[in-house]
Amino acid sequence: MFTEINNVKVIGMAAAVSPEWDSISDLSDEDEATVQRFIKKTGVSGRYSASPRQTTADFCFAAAEKLLEEKQIDKKEIGVLVFVTQTGDYRLPASACVLQYRLGLPKECICFDVNLGCSGFVYGLNVLASLLSNTAVKYGLLLAGDSSAREFSTRRKQREGHSGNWLFGDSGTATLMEKTEGGRLQFLSQTDGSGYKAIISPYGSWRNPDSPDGRTHYVVMDDIAVFNFATAEAPKQLNDFMAKTGTTPDDYDCLVLHQANLMIMKRVAKKSEFPEEKMLVSMDRFGNTSSSSIPISLVDKYGETEDDRTVKALCCGFGVGLSWATCALEIAAADILPLVHTDAYYKDGYNLDDQV
Amino acid sequence: MTDQEKIAMLEETWELDEGTLTADTVLADVDEYDSMAKLSLIVLMDDEFGVKLTGDVIKGFETVADILKLMENA
Repeated sequence: MFTEINNVKVIGMAAAVSPEWDSISDLSDEDEATVQRFIKKTGVSGRYSASPRQTTADFCFAAAEKLLEEKQIDKKEIGVLVFVTQTGDYRLPASACVLQYRLGLPKECICFDVNLGCSGFVYGLNVLASLLSNTAVKYGLLLAGDSSAREFSTRRKQREGHSGNWLFGDSGTATLMEKTEGGRLQFLSQTDGSGYKAIISPYGSWRNPDSPDGRTHYVVMDDIAVFNFATAEAPKQLNDFMAKTGTTPDDYDCLVLHQANLMIMKRVAKKSEFPEEKMLVSMDRFGNTSSSSIPISLVDKYGETEDDRTVKALCCGFGVGLSWATCALEIAAADILPLVHTDAYYKDGYNLDDQV
Repeated sequence: MTDQEKIAMLEETWELDEGTLTADTVLADVDEYDSMAKLSLIVLMDDEFGVKLTGDVIKGFETVADILKLMENA
């Protein structure tokens, strides 16, 4: 579906990770040659992972607090909070409701979670922009992130088809949108549920509460199916988007792809005729950060920039669902904040230790 | 293209020393033939031979010769 939403604009972006960065060599018990080959092929040399009790919501909370403070936004004027994650705090309630309380947002604010991963940032922006354009709400907040490192921590060997072990990083992001004259966002989004088994966490929910081996929170990924899907569909969508909007790679400052793995990203850039130097790469240090990967790449590239230029970014997320989405967004470089580091967690968060 | 040239392409793709592979090499015995190597193979076959590999086809590969056959047919 192609959508064009007028009079909305992205006016701020922030991302949070833990203070601790781990190199793949430190994480791995594989031999050095295997580790070096993994680093070369995936482009990931290390990642940030959450402290033991820290969750995605904690990262998003820290990013949002920083963003609202820097932008000096009156919280009473925030009318929508969308939290895109697959690693929410509880099976219920929606973590967005808890985040509304933690952030001190008004009761008039509508809050809900969206269960999407790699395409989730673009989908979340689309939902938020639609809601803003159809209501009197002035500001909306998109929180997107995942703590996938934990889910992929089973250390199964790569040759068994589980190269995801070291690929994923933990983080959370916050993006602020304003209803304002002259803004415009365009989206092209697609879904192919027939590929739902390609990336799946099948246990620990209502269809399979238990698992054969007792562990319920791991993700199973068909690397080859995902690779073939991503390298075929993402460039096709990018090319369709540019055709529909009458744009070319020359019209964008950067191509911001979901940071899936470097081989996939290079092929997507090539097939959509983007010069590789326009493609942002953050996964070398952050890993694959799921729905955070697009905003975290922008934060990584422009977070320390203080000049008054506007960044025109063509963003494309693709993955679990299967789901994929492209959008063009403009944001002032100065509105992209420097990376936030935090190991804080929600101490009032119904933590198991506190219930005993 | 000779089989030797094709084998050399595989060795280069998987960053193996020259002469590591023969047509009879059993892929399961090659330590470097992991999931990333399979993705590299997909790229090689698509770019150089116009062959789109699926997971099922890759699962069916037992020896280097099985890959060479697909290269021949391209």
